[in-house]
Amino acid sequence: MMILLLIAVSMLTFAAMSFLGDPLFNILGPVAGDTENPENLAKIEAAKEQYYLDKPLPERYARWAGDFVTGDFGVQFSTDGQPPVSGLLKERLPRTLQLMLMAQFLALAIAIPWGVVTASRANGVVDRASTFTSFMFVSLPNFALAVILFYIFALKLDWLPDTYHATDPFWGLTHRHRLVQLVLPAFTLALPGASVYQRLLRTDLITTLQEDFILMARAKGVPKWRVLFRHALRPSMFSVITIFGINAGALIGGALVVEIYFRIPGVGTAIVEAVLREDFPVVLALVMVIATAFVVLNFIVDVFYTFLDPRVRR
Amino acid sequence: MVTASVSIRCLFPFGGHTLIMFTLRRIRLLPLLSLLVAFAMFAAACGGSDSSADDEVSTPDAEESDGGGTSEEEAPETTEATDGGSEESEAIVTETPDDSGVEEVVGGVLRIGIEAEVDGINPTGSALSQPGLLMANQVFDSLVRFNTDDQWVPYLAESLTPNDDFTSWTLKLREGISFHDGTPLDAEALRVNFETVIADPLVGLAVAPYYPAVDAGAFEIVDDLTVTYNLLDSNANFPTSLAGQLGFVASPTWLAAAAEDPTLNQAPVGTGPFVFESRSEDSVTRFVRNEAYWGTPALLDAVEFLPVTDPDVRANLLLEGELDGQVTTNIASTETIAEGDPTVQNLLDDTGDESFVMLNTSTPPFDNILARQALTFATPRDNYNTLIGLGINRPADGMFTPDSPYYNPDVVQEADDPDRAIEVAAQYCAEVPDGCTDGKINMELQWSGPSVVQTRIAEILDEGWSVAFNVEFQELPQDSHIQETAFGLYNAVTWRQFGAPNPADDGVWLLCRTIGGISLNWPKNCNESRDALFLEAMASTDEARRVELFKEISQKINEDYTYVFLYHTIWATSLAENVKGVCNSQSPEGETLRCTLNGRMWYDNTFLAE
Amino acid sequence: MTDTLSSPSSPSGDPIVEIIDTADERASDTIEKRTLGLGFWLCIGWLVFICGLAALAPILPLKDPDENFLQFEEKESALTGRVTEAPVQPPYGPSAEHWFGTDLDARDMLSRTIYGARVSLVVGFAAIAFGMLVGGSLGMVAGFVGGWFDRVVSFCFLVLLSFPALILAILITSLASRSLFTIALTLGILSVSPVGRLARAATLVFAEREFVTAARTLGAKPSRIIRREILPNVMIPMSALALLGMAVSIVAEGALAFLGLSVEKGSTWGKLIRTAVNSTSDLESAPWMAFTPIGFLFLTVMALNFAGDRLRDYFDVKELSI
Repeated sequence: MMILLLIAVSMLTFAAMSFLGDPLFNILGPVAGDTENPENLAKIEAAKEQYYLDKPLPERYARWAGDFVTGDFGVQFSTDGQPPVSGLLKERLPRTLQLMLMAQFLALAIAIPWGVVTASRANGVVDRASTFTSFMFVSLPNFALAVILFYIFALKLDWLPDTYHATDPFWGLTHRHRLVQLVLPAFTLALPGASVYQRLLRTDLITTLQEDFILMARAKGVPKWRVLFRHALRPSMFSVITIFGINAGALIGGALVVEIYFRIPGVGTAIVEAVLREDFPVVLALVMVIATAFVVLNFIVDVFYTFLDPRVRR
Repeated sequence: MVTASVSIRCLFPFGGHTLIMFTLRRIRLLPLLSLLVAFAMFAAACGGSDSSADDEVSTPDAEESDGGGTSEEEAPETTEATDGGSEESEAIVTETPDDSGVEEVVGGVLRIGIEAEVDGINPTGSALSQPGLLMANQVFDSLVRFNTDDQWVPYLAESLTPNDDFTSWTLKLREGISFHDGTPLDAEALRVNFETVIADPLVGLAVAPYYPAVDAGAFEIVDDLTVTYNLLDSNANFPTSLAGQLGFVASPTWLAAAAEDPTLNQAPVGTGPFVFESRSEDSVTRFVRNEAYWGTPALLDAVEFLPVTDPDVRANLLLEGELDGQVTTNIASTETIAEGDPTVQNLLDDTGDESFVMLNTSTPPFDNILARQALTFATPRDNYNTLIGLGINRPADGMFTPDSPYYNPDVVQEADDPDRAIEVAAQYCAEVPDGCTDGKINMELQWSGPSVVQTRIAEILDEGWSVAFNVEFQELPQDSHIQETAFGLYNAVTWRQFGAPNPADDGVWLLCRTIGGISLNWPKNCNESRDALFLEAMASTDEARRVELFKEISQKINEDYTYVFLYHTIWATSLAENVKGVCNSQSPEGETLRCTLNGRMWYDNTFLAE
Repeated sequence: MTDTLSSPSSPSGDPIVEIIDTADERASDTIEKRTLGLGFWLCIGWLVFICGLAALAPILPLKDPDENFLQFEEKESALTGRVTEAPVQPPYGPSAEHWFGTDLDARDMLSRTIYGARVSLVVGFAAIAFGMLVGGSLGMVAGFVGGWFDRVVSFCFLVLLSFPALILAILITSLASRSLFTIALTLGILSVSPVGRLARAATLVFAEREFVTAARTLGAKPSRIIRREILPNVMIPMSALALLGMAVSIVAEGALAFLGLSVEKGSTWGKLIRTAVNSTSDLESAPWMAFTPIGFLFLTVMALNFAGDRLRDYFDVKELSI
């Protein structure tokens, strides 16, 4: 099923690119349109042959798919054909992964205490305010959130650096370390996620807190915070963990906008650049990588869900 | 034959980036006066006693539109708008790079921020935009350079001698020079370079129109170090065409290898003061000193170029000390630098290219002069210059700045006249009812994007044009934009070109013969009488006559309504305080050379002072 | 059949529709369940207000959104003593003249934002309408007919969902034209599968209800059953989804615009934000340029989300789809 899905996705991308774009143009530049000049015509023919553009669509797809499966992602359609797509991926993917991991980590780091606090005082003032806040974060488009956070923390307060340098070292705590430079973009991605986790955790915690073993612990005189963190938290994490996986998928789309805004040369930036250049193999390869990640992730979540779903277990 | 030295760069209007993410920021009005002083001082610094530039300060600006006034008035009056104006204006005044007293230092790495990455640095095959030319300058020597009076001076060539009617020029190379890879620089190397360029489907377009076919003897080898260029037309200033991209000489061994393996286009091999060391896309390109340089070896150990597309970011990197210099046409970011650090040296030059709207005369509606006139009249040039030029760039009436000897004060770019636009558009619509809807002419404005500043430009123009035009917008990726423009598949585009030191070199954009499948005469506007003037100007050695001819050419361009000139682009180079000697470059014969040209510089005598 | 709306395994890539659903499934406080509440009507009020403004923009006493309202200042020349008028460099801050300030080109932010709403709202509305029409009918027929048709349609929905939505939108808009129509259509296509999946799930539930069985035994044609019996019932959960979906479409258009890929002519909220934040120094010196459209966008999206959420709780959509 998964493989079938991926094939369908790749075919769709392939077809869209072939019908809408003119890859020849990327290889040759303006010459590609100059069919009247015999010299240029010869060049066009040669390029067509080299990149299999003279072959029918299914054959081209088959060739591409064959190469892709064996790990050859093709070369970029530029006059130089450099660098190859796999090189680009090797360079860009880690940056995006760093960003997304950091975002997920921050989201959990925010959501857990937040969820615990709101659950412990369900329907109190804090809880009501937090309901509104979390709703706000979810309603704020990530590009707007990015602008707001950037304005406050980088421009007005100047706590965080406003530029990302791909060449800076990662580990370290100054403005010249990428760990710090990634904080704002990661926060932008993390806040909506954190709001969702918080809501889930709160609900589950409220349910858990009514269970017998909690009441027992409370009766034994265990302090409230200890009950919350030691006893109630772990059994309440189920929904958060499932959503955690899905959110990673949703982050891919968000990462694209955030990368562009914070000028992080990651996969999202690469894909936008490639689409604008109409760079066929790059777009295909990147879309496939993302779609694969997406599908695999959802598959894992599905499996996980089946194993852990209380309804299924029962 | 003249091939424009700036020509190829202009294949890429508005810089060479895919994702143009820059904008002109709001800034306080900079007193025009100080800017003009800056020009004057810069000209004086790099150009000895250039009287025309000094005149600039007192020459009333020809622009006499509402609220415009003359430059004398405008300058001080804006000073008051600027809080603490005079100090700030001091900041941007070019510190005369008079580095004669500074002790030269050997060593160090110069890091320069450029506005875009380039596809390759092969002078015979890559369309070099400004960043490409800047890098190529370090690794290649051109056959000819300009001195501070904009006269050509032999550089890699030892001499250039014409025949009696200037239809053939004999070039003699200096002896004993070899490329970085050891290949000797000889007549054969020149032949390979010439033939590769002329055969290139794109770069060749700027060369081929001036020569007979290669097999008809465009290029002859006389002896081991001497060659003859045979031209189609008489050209008294032919050598100026060898001062730019087309004058770079690349190693024939490398050219042959690069033809096989295109990746080598990224690793140029020339005779220049610096040797290519390494380059990775979207990061640093590094050149190191050529110890075996035929002239005086460079002072710097290495030069590094970093592409940073965002001008604000680039400016910040310079202020943070991450960069030693940067080049931009974004004057606002230059002002940020001037405000942030008054010790930074800013070299400004607006004698290069012009920004304008270009109309395609080969298709409706602009094949009809009425439509072109209507558009010209409707163009909101004042608003454009206030909002996009920030009142700093000088409004352009033609291809020459007022300080050029060829400037024709009688040529005035008509604009900001909506009533006349409506009137003329009505005439057009009476003639061509199909081309109009609701009494307005239908047209499309095309630009390369996505770009915020280009969109703003389009909206500003549309706001004025909409009195007489229904304007459709078309924003295309850069490559498609250039293709459609080259093939004449457009109505109107925003563009940037012209401004060659020898104006005859700009003929490549204007002559009838550059109209074809791919036209460098983008508007496809053939004007035989203008061509005749151009050819005469090329052939003439009489400077007074040339001045007359170019004034007439300006007049004709103006009357054709093919270009709506907006302003003179300012190329600004900012250098950290300790970067010295940028204007010390000299020819082997000891003549001081022009130190910046459309943002290009030569770093062979540059050093980092202690 | 186990394919439920709220299953976390549906990879829609859209956190709002999917995740908030699940989140509030158990979170919704039972007290307010059967009333829509003041918040809901406030939201509807805002939506009506903004739609009204957008629709009536040309006849409202708003400033021309494209005009450059340059301000001039009289200045005396220190050199000649003559007094002349020179333009003051925009953007201008908020004032009585321009309530929300002006942009870099001295154009009125308020009126640009309201005109921007026209495009943003139309795109949002058209996209979800398309999704409802195509996705809704496909989903309903698939759910009702079942068999191979159901399997094919469900697979297609899944394929569309496996595509990172924004990337598909970028692909289409950058390769095809960037007209209002294409963008609305692209976002419409993207909303087909979430809507379709809900419609299918709801149809499955209703197809087994007594009134459908009754109609069937009475010999009603399948087309009639779908139209008369199922459609009205499916419409209820769909209306909640429509509001949420419209919010998502408006945000998606904003994201496209933010990447420079929205309509070429005319302003949209996303385009206004992009222009304002393009340069760091603009954002710092003239924040009103960015925060005016962000404010309008935020309030509208929040109103749509909140109203949709309330509506869903009100109709108890969850129970339907399980």
